[in-house]
Amino acid sequence: MAYGDLSPISREPMRPPAPLRVVFGALFVALLINLLPWSGTPLLIRPDFVLLVLLFWAVHEPRIIGQGMGFALALVMDVADSALLGQHALAYVIATFLAQVLRLRILQLTVAEQALHVGGILFVSTAVMLLLNSMLGRDFPGVALFLSPILGAMLWPVVRAVTAWQKLRLPPPTTMMR
Amino acid sequence: MYQEPFFTRGPSPLARLTFFSLLAIVVMIADHRFRALDTVRLAVSVVLHPVERAMALPGDLASRVGDYFTSQDKLLADNRVLERKVLELAAASQQAQLLKSEHERLIRLAAANDRFANQGIVAEIIRDARNPFNRRIIVDKGMAHGLRGGLPVIDGGGVVGQVTAVGTLTSEVTLITEKDQSVPVMLVRNGLRAVSVGMGKDGTIDVPFIPASADIRNGDVFVTSGIDGLYPPGLAVATITSVEKNAAFQFARIIGTPASGVDNHRFVMVLNNPAAATYPIPDVAGEERKGARERGSRAQRPAPANIRKPEQ
Repeated sequence: MAYGDLSPISREPMRPPAPLRVVFGALFVALLINLLPWSGTPLLIRPDFVLLVLLFWAVHEPRIIGQGMGFALALVMDVADSALLGQHALAYVIATFLAQVLRLRILQLTVAEQALHVGGILFVSTAVMLLLNSMLGRDFPGVALFLSPILGAMLWPVVRAVTAWQKLRLPPPTTMMR
Repeated sequence: MYQEPFFTRGPSPLARLTFFSLLAIVVMIADHRFRALDTVRLAVSVVLHPVERAMALPGDLASRVGDYFTSQDKLLADNRVLERKVLELAAASQQAQLLKSEHERLIRLAAANDRFANQGIVAEIIRDARNPFNRRIIVDKGMAHGLRGGLPVIDGGGVVGQVTAVGTLTSEVTLITEKDQSVPVMLVRNGLRAVSVGMGKDGTIDVPFIPASADIRNGDVFVTSGIDGLYPPGLAVATITSVEKNAAFQFARIIGTPASGVDNHRFVMVLNNPAAATYPIPDVAGEERKGARERGSRAQRPAPANIRKPEQ
């Protein structure tokens, strides 16, 4: 950005906040995708959709979605994946923290650069899960595990496009002001 | 009118991170060490269960449609194989009944406990647990059908695993190939006792701590020994596929493959083993308390048997 350029750093502050139904609707849909009966290699390389959407909202709607929401969703994921309770929680909380810290930086980047940052955050969360499981004495499930953050980062533009879709953001017709 | 302050921020992200990480660690310790959060798990799973069922529906439907279009030939062939199997098993089961009644008579003579499982609950495998780090399956029977933690699960081949978490309508079964999942076993040929331990990812079973001098060969079959009181004796566990005896080590390295089709079955049977009820998991702390109370009460008054003895 050249000195003296008066264009706003980010258009984000100008945008009205996303309605709650869109925020929680997107999280719910991500949870449903995570709850599909995955197994084997697809399970290993599956990006964590819930974490991806969580990161999106932590970046775009920090007043609604933060670490508390991440913690709650993570407990649900722990039960669903029959994992040790609190395992996803630690990973999600750390990832959300990183998203909060990198938020302003991510918002002014292009989509590809954003995806790189998100990939890094997803990688940290995968590494936390791997560390916790190896502390529990489990085997390393395979290098394919690290495809998951890469695929997640590749999905970032998709998540961004869907959740930022303007039609979702319009208020429902009944309450529309004349 | 109340108006929110313009810059509401609350605790800093770092403070929140510290708080929630500590909370997560506390939750992990509570779950791992003390099993204190089983109710939380149960409550969440009750809510999750219908959603999971709904999400599994498309896949189920697809496989049902696939089943519907299997060819007539294949069904007929399957049927013939199954009929032959029924006949073979009928003979075996009649002999087994005879043996069982003889065994019961002998057992009654010796005044010991009957250790045969007599009831089983057939359960359908719904899916694998969605966790790349462990080997568990989810079956469609739960607390409502009388399942409880620790019950053994078998299929047509042998032991599949053990129920490790029970929901209202589903349960989680840990396979015997899960890392560190152990089963007390006995060699059929010579009665050598051992403990089989799951190896984790490659679906094999390790039998550690057998001396290199032991009489054990490839192809030997391990069955449950029943000394744990959880698995009834005589269920096939594993067939030995490799025995490595190295003079440098005290123990032989023994690897087996599970006798059950651990990964490729649709129905399993959960044995509602009566023996399991007679061997409860020892509640050491409770026993100590009870022991202390009994000692205290004995000190207060003498046992009634001692009073009556002189007269009779």
